[in-house]
Amino acid sequence: MSEIVLETEGLTKYYGSSLAVDHLDLKIPRGCICGFVGRNGAGKTTAIKLMLGLLRPTAGSSRLLGCDSSELTPAIRQRIGYVTEGHRLFRWMSIAGLEKFQRAFFPEQWDDKFFADMIEYFELPKKKKIKHLSNGQRAQVSLAVALAPNPELLIMDDPTLGLDAAIRRQFLEGMIGLIMREGRTVLFSSHILGDVERVSDRIVVIDKGVLRANCSLEQFQEAVKKAILTFADSAPDEVNIDGLLHCKRMEKHLALTLVGIDDEKIIEWAKSAGAENYDIVKMNLEDQFIEFTAPANQKRLFKWEER
Amino acid sequence: MRFSTLLYKELRECLPWMLLAAIVLLTLGSFFLREQIHYRNPSWYYSRLSPGTIVESHLFTYSSILGVTGPLLLLSSIGLGLVLGIRHFWIPNFTRTWPFLLHRSVRRKTILTAKLVATTIAFVLCLGPVWIGLYWYACRSTIFPPQTLKNFIEGWIFIILGLVTYLGTALSGLSSAKWYTTKIFGLVFAAVVIFMTFPQCSLFRISAVIAASAAILLSQIFQIFGRREF
Repeated sequence: MSEIVLETEGLTKYYGSSLAVDHLDLKIPRGCICGFVGRNGAGKTTAIKLMLGLLRPTAGSSRLLGCDSSELTPAIRQRIGYVTEGHRLFRWMSIAGLEKFQRAFFPEQWDDKFFADMIEYFELPKKKKIKHLSNGQRAQVSLAVALAPNPELLIMDDPTLGLDAAIRRQFLEGMIGLIMREGRTVLFSSHILGDVERVSDRIVVIDKGVLRANCSLEQFQEAVKKAILTFADSAPDEVNIDGLLHCKRMEKHLALTLVGIDDEKIIEWAKSAGAENYDIVKMNLEDQFIEFTAPANQKRLFKWEER
Repeated sequence: MRFSTLLYKELRECLPWMLLAAIVLLTLGSFFLREQIHYRNPSWYYSRLSPGTIVESHLFTYSSILGVTGPLLLLSSIGLGLVLGIRHFWIPNFTRTWPFLLHRSVRRKTILTAKLVATTIAFVLCLGPVWIGLYWYACRSTIFPPQTLKNFIEGWIFIILGLVTYLGTALSGLSSAKWYTTKIFGLVFAAVVIFMTFPQCSLFRISAVIAASAAILLSQIFQIFGRREF
């Protein structure tokens, strides 16, 4: 098994009486691009801040590059790039000033050429102050200053939030610049599934603070599926099949959303239930995510993890 | 290198307010001194009076430089302390720049030390020379009574009270408590220290009160900053 660069164990965070992150057990191996997805308020930002030691956990722990998050040393921080939510930078600084500021904290590893190339690629004027940049430009500067030190681990908190499609694509292409460098690990939170699909090879799904999935993107896409069964008379009242997330009845039809179950088993169950016809529909990632995180009509949420 | 970068950043954030405080103190301070020199000058009065007019003697009672510019110096110093405290410890809560700043390859106490050193430099650089200038202006005037070293030191104590205000504002800004509870402790504490120094007690006693209160505020600030959630 490859080296784990990010690990959480029972990570829990309460704000007063409200639970933001609930016993998060996560392991991210080195070299992967991990999409950290969840709905608004799912606990993504809180989890990231806990990992970076900006918040203290109510219970549990997390480790980045082998160091406990609550005691991240300057040497470890130097190996981690962080893009904050909303790209909050010092508004009075110019791009050149911000470059100078950031470079001082990464003296040996700062890549001047990479930074200059990114600024040129994004067509950003270096003398312009951060406060005079658009949201998209600020995101691009934020990405450039996070990538130029060539971090081993890059953590980005909803980096494409509020950006239009063209800027988002440009941003993601910039991110690929880092990914091309060997052994780099990226964790980026998002609720734009298209972005995750485009660049990630791993997906972590968090819902109401609970980890719902942590697997390769391929496995997730394979695992969440929809089956539409047609019956001669009416659909059966009781559906008893493994991995059932949602069940929708429409007269003779039964639409099942299932997770982590083979097609053969679905077909087997459909035959035993007396279905006349069955169709296993391929879903796109967005539909899979929506179905996966929608409130289930089961008593207990199905929790699927890599087996 | 890292500390100097942080120091530059903090000083740069102080700069507009430093300049404003220095300009206000210099303009109003020199105006009040000039006013004192002109209007309390017997020859100025006599030249404008018709012969035989009786002039009340209190018009020629001269204040010390601290009597003329002291309240202004104290207000400038407290004002600067409040503004810089807000700039360094309140504004980042709203602009949400704490996470970016704290994810530096330095310890939290280095970040905090840079803020405190920058503020001390700001106070010394902007209020110090103006105060020295005003004192010199008063010394060379023949109107003011001879200035004592005590007056000069008291001026510096007023400047240090601004730093105490800064520390109080910083402590309140860092507190995550509610407004009406312990959040205002820092500000209230600084206000109490300022009022405690008003009675004309000895310089030694005043210095001791200021040193003790600054030590209390600093220890609290370092403790809170080290473990606060951002």
